[in-house]
Amino acid sequence: MFHLPTVQFTQEQEQFRLDVRTFLQEELVKGTFTSKCDSWLSGDDPEFSKLIGQKGWIGLTWPKKYGGQERSTIDRYILTEEFLAVGAPVAAHWFADRQTGPLLLRYGTEEQREYFLPKIVKGECYFGIGLSEPNSGSDLASVSTRAEKVEGGWIVNGQKIWTSNAHLCHYMVTLVRTSPFDGKSKHAGLSQLIVDLHAEGVTVVPIKFLTGEHHYNEVFFENVFVPDNMVVGEIGNGWAQGLAELAFERSGPERILSTFPLIDELIQELKRQNNLEGLKQASKIVARLWSLRNLSLGVAQLLESGNGEDVSIPAALVKALGTKFEQSIPEITRLIVQTYPTLDAHRKIDRFMAESILHAPGFTIRGGTSEVLYGVVAKGVIAQ
Amino acid sequence: MSEMRDMIVDVVERMLKEKVDKDLVDTVEQGHWAPELWDLFKENRMTAVAITEENGGAGGDIEDLLNIVRLTGKYAAPIPFTETTFANYLLEFTNLQVIEDLATYMLCPDQAFTLENGKLTGEAIHIPWARHTKNLVTLARSKDGTHLVEINLSQAEIKEATNLAGEPRDTVRFQHSTTSQVSAVLSPDKIRTITTLHTAFQLALMTGAIDKINDLTVQYTKEREQFGRPIHRFQLVQQHIVHLAGETAIALAAFNNVTEALLMNKQNSEVAYASIRFEEIIQTVTTIAHQVHAAIGTTHEHSLHQFTRRLWSWRDEGASTSYWTNLVATQLMESGDSLWGYLTPFSKSSPLLKVEG
Ligand SMILES: Cc1cc2nc3c(=O)[nH]c(=O)nc-3n(C[C@H](O)[C@H](O)[C@H](O)COP(=O)(O)OP(=O)(O)OC[C@H]3O[C@@H](n4cnc5c(N)ncnc54)[C@H](O)[C@@H]3O)c2cc1C
Repeated sequence: MFHLPTVQFTQEQEQFRLDVRTFLQEELVKGTFTSKCDSWLSGDDPEFSKLIGQKGWIGLTWPKKYGGQERSTIDRYILTEEFLAVGAPVAAHWFADRQTGPLLLRYGTEEQREYFLPKIVKGECYFGIGLSEPNSGSDLASVSTRAEKVEGGWIVNGQKIWTSNAHLCHYMVTLVRTSPFDGKSKHAGLSQLIVDLHAEGVTVVPIKFLTGEHHYNEVFFENVFVPDNMVVGEIGNGWAQGLAELAFERSGPERILSTFPLIDELIQELKRQNNLEGLKQASKIVARLWSLRNLSLGVAQLLESGNGEDVSIPAALVKALGTKFEQSIPEITRLIVQTYPTLDAHRKIDRFMAESILHAPGFTIRGGTSEVLYGVVAKGVIAQ
Repeated sequence: MSEMRDMIVDVVERMLKEKVDKDLVDTVEQGHWAPELWDLFKENRMTAVAITEENGGAGGDIEDLLNIVRLTGKYAAPIPFTETTFANYLLEFTNLQVIEDLATYMLCPDQAFTLENGKLTGEAIHIPWARHTKNLVTLARSKDGTHLVEINLSQAEIKEATNLAGEPRDTVRFQHSTTSQVSAVLSPDKIRTITTLHTAFQLALMTGAIDKINDLTVQYTKEREQFGRPIHRFQLVQQHIVHLAGETAIALAAFNNVTEALLMNKQNSEVAYASIRFEEIIQTVTTIAHQVHAAIGTTHEHSLHQFTRRLWSWRDEGASTSYWTNLVATQLMESGDSLWGYLTPFSKSSPLLKVEG
């Protein structure tokens, strides 16, 4: 079984955590934002993103020459934890910060980095993730949106679906087929293109989330021209490039903490009720959270040391276990205290319950379903 | 892990792999003693790890020792290694003289013996390996308070008994017996630390056994074929494998975080969290391992039960999960902080660090 490293925060890191926390508390008190559950995917607030950008807290790990701070992966981990713990609305810039930036730093051209990264860092440029299609969910390699070579660029036709926040985003990293599907090597012939979502031929159509909120979208491409300089990395290498993103995407604190504001409120409520028996039951949640955080931090530390160890299996494991945990929180909470969940409730715990219950089904689906992750982990364990 | 620790772990694992097999564990479960294995550990000075050199120890720290204990759990090593080393660790911890011989301990405050004029009286049950060891390190209560006492077991009346795994858990009786050493009165803090350390040793043993059960089970899914293919090819078996891997990874990471916290002398709640979480881990791991092994795993012939029976015993030895649950609940109740603040304490506390709830 893999042994993950432990993490002890340095004094500077603790100070950083404190700075972030203090800032967020001040903004919360000022009313700049309202805490909510699942704030990293469903809490979009461009004004807040710009404020975060001004603090230098987007692209924290990126090179200074692109506006980053050259801080460590663990520093970014701390920052993310603090956002999620207080339920701050970080969804608008989320994918650009977590995925697009690192992708461009790894595979992008100098021109792309210089153009996009400083904008992302300011909290002004948002990216969507264009992977899923109506007929390609878990079997992602079967995507059929295609790009054909023309003079100076590519012509894209097809459709993406479930694109979170595409209606707010400026661009989308889009997985397309650049050579015909070959049943023998399905992962070949895929490429990543940066599509301007305001370009001619792009249509973004909302799909209502089950709450009625506008969260994800369909994105249609009709003869959309994408210039050559918007190709990410190499043509035909899209699958491998996409996989490299996954470790970052799968094992972060957002796979554990989506319902943290509810856990916190549960504890506060039990304290107000002077309910020691309830706290005893809740201590199980705390222990589970602690034990998952150990794993997630361990993977972050491996990514930081970057010594080539394969983190894809533990990362998939963290996501499978972590999302199951965050999904279970409302169901456990309602057995410990009495709640009546509504989205416009006065009592914080009722509102957090409503947000958690309604968003929970997506936790174990988005970013790769648990079943698919189980398959990845099982094969990895057997191969060891 | 330090290089030194890697080396110790390596040496010990090789020793155990070579010397401990199912037959040896069976033999000791039937009431025999494993002199060769014990002598080997002693000759290699493994029994002196985490005792300072000025007190005749081999140096090393608590994290080194707990990692050796983890390995003895992984191989179900049938010797009182945990007992002897932890007894000595506690003697040094309470400023008493370290002893060379085989030793064991009794650390349940509810069972504390009565101490009067240097004489010990009373009865305690479930004392590990008492019949095979020479000295007992035990809690005892005098009119002044609770002490740690060392006493020679030759004066004791010992009634043999075993736990679910066939490990000696004897009843020990003293009647005005002469103690060898008595510590100063232990503060409640010190008693709590002893309980914390005791639980950490149990966690180490259990982590080892969990790791082994995972290995055995994964291996079995590769060997056993049904319907013309190895059973790991069935998705429902794969789901078992993933749950098992998840709980094992969590146990290992929890253990590593616990030992590191102890080493850095952080009196945090790591041991409490781990203890509460291990309760679930053991349920899942033992159930899944037996389910995947099916009939063969229910036989005495197979070695799986040597580890599952140990987990079913070890989880009930030392402070109970309800003790730790109560402790965490009480701390939460008394904490003026948000849960997040409580979970991410700063190493240097300052009034600045308080966050509005
Ligand atoms: C809230 C939310 C936000 C999202 N945002 C985005 C986004 O921004 N961009 C984007 O591209 N996509 C997004 N998605 C889509 C998401 O990535 C897909 O839903 C996911 O990959 C699964 O695809 P599917 O829904 O088509 O399910 P399917 O693949 O059709 O799966 C149906 C069921 O079959 C199971 N299954 C499928 N294959 C296997 C297998 N090999 N073994 C075992 N079981 C299997 C699945 O686990 C599932 O239970 C989002 C989804 C949600 C819920």
